[in-house]
Amino acid sequence: MECAFRSLFNVLECPDLRLKRPAWFKQPSAMTVFFILLGSYFLVTGGVIYDVIVEPPSIGSTTDHMGRSKPVAFMQWRINGQYIMEGLASSFLFTMGAVGFIILDKTNIGLMPKLNRIIMISIGSACILLSFFTLRIFMKIKMPSYMN
Amino acid sequence: MSNVTKRNVPSATKPSTSAAAQKPAKQEPESIVHSKNDAHDPTGVKTILIVACLGCIWLIGFASRLFSVIRYESIIHEFDPWFNYRATYHMVTTSFYEFLNWFDERAWYPLGRIVGGTVYPGLMITSGGIHWLLSNMNITIHIREICVFLAPFFSGLTAISTYLLTKELWSQGAGLFAAAFIGIVPGYISRSVAGSYDNEGIAIFALMFTYYLWIKSVKTGRVFWAILTALSYFYMVSAWGGYVFIINLIPLHVFVLMIIGRYSDRIYVAYSVFYIIGTILSMQIPFVGFQPIRTSEHMAAAGTFALIQAYAFLNYLKSKLSAKEFRSFFIFAVTLAAGVVFAGVVALTYFGYIAPWSGRFYSLWDTGYAKIHIPIITSVSEHQPTTWTSFFFDLHILACIFPAGVWFCIKELNDERVFIVLYAVFASYFAGVMVRLILTLTPVVCILSAIALSNLNLVVQIIEIFCHEINIFFRTLEYYLFDENIGQDKSVDKELKDKSQYDEKVPRSFPLSKPQQDKNLNPNLKTFVVIALAVLLVLFAAHCTWVTSNAYSSPSIVLATYSESGQRQIIDDFREAYYWLRKNTQDDARIMSWWDYGYQIAGMGNRTTLVDNNTWNNSHIALVGKAMSSNESEAYKIMRELDVDYVLVIFGGLIGYSGDDINKFLWMVRIAEGEHPKDIRESDYFTEQGEFRVDAGGSKTLLNCLMYKLSYYRFGEIQVDYRTPPGFDRTRNVEIGNKNFKLEHLEEAFTSEHWIVRIFRVKEPSNRTPNKDLLRKIKRNKSVHSKKGKKRQGVIKNKPVVVKGKSATIKK
Repeated sequence: MECAFRSLFNVLECPDLRLKRPAWFKQPSAMTVFFILLGSYFLVTGGVIYDVIVEPPSIGSTTDHMGRSKPVAFMQWRINGQYIMEGLASSFLFTMGAVGFIILDKTNIGLMPKLNRIIMISIGSACILLSFFTLRIFMKIKMPSYMN
Repeated sequence: MSNVTKRNVPSATKPSTSAAAQKPAKQEPESIVHSKNDAHDPTGVKTILIVACLGCIWLIGFASRLFSVIRYESIIHEFDPWFNYRATYHMVTTSFYEFLNWFDERAWYPLGRIVGGTVYPGLMITSGGIHWLLSNMNITIHIREICVFLAPFFSGLTAISTYLLTKELWSQGAGLFAAAFIGIVPGYISRSVAGSYDNEGIAIFALMFTYYLWIKSVKTGRVFWAILTALSYFYMVSAWGGYVFIINLIPLHVFVLMIIGRYSDRIYVAYSVFYIIGTILSMQIPFVGFQPIRTSEHMAAAGTFALIQAYAFLNYLKSKLSAKEFRSFFIFAVTLAAGVVFAGVVALTYFGYIAPWSGRFYSLWDTGYAKIHIPIITSVSEHQPTTWTSFFFDLHILACIFPAGVWFCIKELNDERVFIVLYAVFASYFAGVMVRLILTLTPVVCILSAIALSNLNLVVQIIEIFCHEINIFFRTLEYYLFDENIGQDKSVDKELKDKSQYDEKVPRSFPLSKPQQDKNLNPNLKTFVVIALAVLLVLFAAHCTWVTSNAYSSPSIVLATYSESGQRQIIDDFREAYYWLRKNTQDDARIMSWWDYGYQIAGMGNRTTLVDNNTWNNSHIALVGKAMSSNESEAYKIMRELDVDYVLVIFGGLIGYSGDDINKFLWMVRIAEGEHPKDIRESDYFTEQGEFRVDAGGSKTLLNCLMYKLSYYRFGEIQVDYRTPPGFDRTRNVEIGNKNFKLEHLEEAFTSEHWIVRIFRVKEPSNRTPNKDLLRKIKRNKSVHSKKGKKRQGVIKNKPVVVKGKSATIKK
């Protein structure tokens, strides 16, 4: 093997290159990976793939009895259909809930001032509860018969 | 967290040097092992509790899937289950080999279908096996009952294997959470209610169990577990086409472990054994055959197998060579190996030895592919891309908790958690592409949510306090029940006895890892958070029950409506019509309908169909679609060619049933257009504004096509409501455009009570009629029996003719 290379370089001259691996090219840290995943989760649950294939409008519109056009945020009664904005809003809430749980876990780190801990617990649970109950409201708007 | 990442960094940057330092059994740092308390169970109370919990989960999971049985009856649901039931029935009534060699001449007329070679037989064998076992125990039960209750029964097994998997990944507490979630989560219930006798019902169990065994074999590196994995994989292959997910995810896990420098001999043993045995076993299923070595779906597994062999070989060489020699050799060998493998795959694909990706699989990556090329895949509603509503409906609060679980797993990474993270990533992407694949996402969501919840210290505290109380309770019980204390440690019990006689306070005998109490933190705040989380979980359970009862428990062949007084009306038109078919048509009658109803006609009506839900022959389906969307005389030609005796259409306009053939009609047109672009054009069926309308404004082609005429035949004579005109379609809320027409080549044979199913008989060709428009008139001889004069009824021979003024003479 060595001889094969050596005979080759008898003829050729090695160019004087200084190749360096780019500084950004390294194994990403665990948290970078996680936040990339969270971002893609945001897109997937928001139905971006649906948006690309079906190409719905970003928000719908309806005409009321006076003939005026009114914007509609939710495509009602259709589980398999959505407008782009409602999907993104809902997936934002999904992600917010997830972040709430992570914040709640962060409160377990030792050596933290009491005030910080209280604030973090409050923010965490607020995120969870807010996202959850807003999602329920969204669902009620979309399917008025939900949980009746 | 820090020690974990630091340990990874050197091995990632220089895999060639650090690989030598790998030890076969690497100890994980203490901080990321969460299951260290699991083994501590001196009294056995914990085991009893876990078994009791899993039993309850099984019971609840089983019970919550019975809505449809209680509301309707024990009946097979929907479409595909009818075929599975029919095949199982055939197998049970004949024999297993008869089933494997079954040529079904009642489907895909005139082609027929080789059922044994085109079916995943695991489902039939499972229920047939249960039936065989029960009947050998002299428990006589009809095979239909086994088919109906198979999926709810297997949901309990799924819960247990999910528990085992989560226990391996994290801890027992997380495992119980995961089992409880998977027991009731709607994403899984949607496919496993009683009566939904389909492959997925048992396949999810096989999936989770295979993954559990895989994790076990990665952790131990023992051939025993790897072989068990392969056997479980074999069961999965026999049960569901989704086995492709396993054979791609496990190689991916191995590949990623090699990339991030976590290669070890355990993984080598586990994967090599699993791949070899699993592939050989999977090739024993007739439907799979040589696919595992010949199609692109399986090439990732083969490539990873080659790669891990090369990696292991290089590792071996490295122990023999010096570092410098090795480096040059390494680069050379890796380049060569990668080049050879890649060139080989390309060449084999080019020469046709490896089949390229199938359409269904390809459409997962190129999401627009199916829409353009394969309308039959897109036409199925469960192949639609997913919206946010489906995620919320099927996963509810778990969709929020799930990323937190990923966070915990990434934060404290080890070999098996890499696997669950990869599973989460790919399953959530696939679930976004197709609604139906939420099913494969659901288990991982349950597992990761359980990990997140069990890891929040707040929850852990509550559970530990609860466990403590239970322990005290059992201790006290034990004390009163067993006074003699057989087999107990005397000294401990004596102490116990002494103490509990006075104040009932019993010391904790096993060391619960006491949570770090924050003495200075307001306990009310913690209580609040815990209560809020508990409320969320209660609402989750309520949501699951609501969705199960309202959305996923309809058999769809029996419909129910509720009148304003709350009274329930059962609409049983489908079975009425199929029963009519069974009793009133000749045994070999051929029924043409859209493919959705093929399995039901075969299963309930026992008649020959042209196309059915096994959509293997696109051109045959397109021919039926063409017949449905042509006008009557064109359709008649096609129907004569196909030997059709009856045509069956589903019509919901009378009672407002939205899943009827008119609403599916555009798919028939599209599929027909794909094969016959000259005869059928989708644009002909729209108005000039591009609307699909059945009223007077609709396009002429639509108003005269066969499907329209059969659906609305004599519908114009019906007036349901005084507020609406006659012929008012309640599904589309319009008055139909073409009312008074006659059918030329077909005649109405049967219409069910609510007009949902309409069956038409195809007439024999009529006698030839003279053509009045010919240029040259053909002279015909007049009939010898021509009658002269008005109303002359007949002739009496030698009748006397009476002439006025003359006597009667006999005419000669």
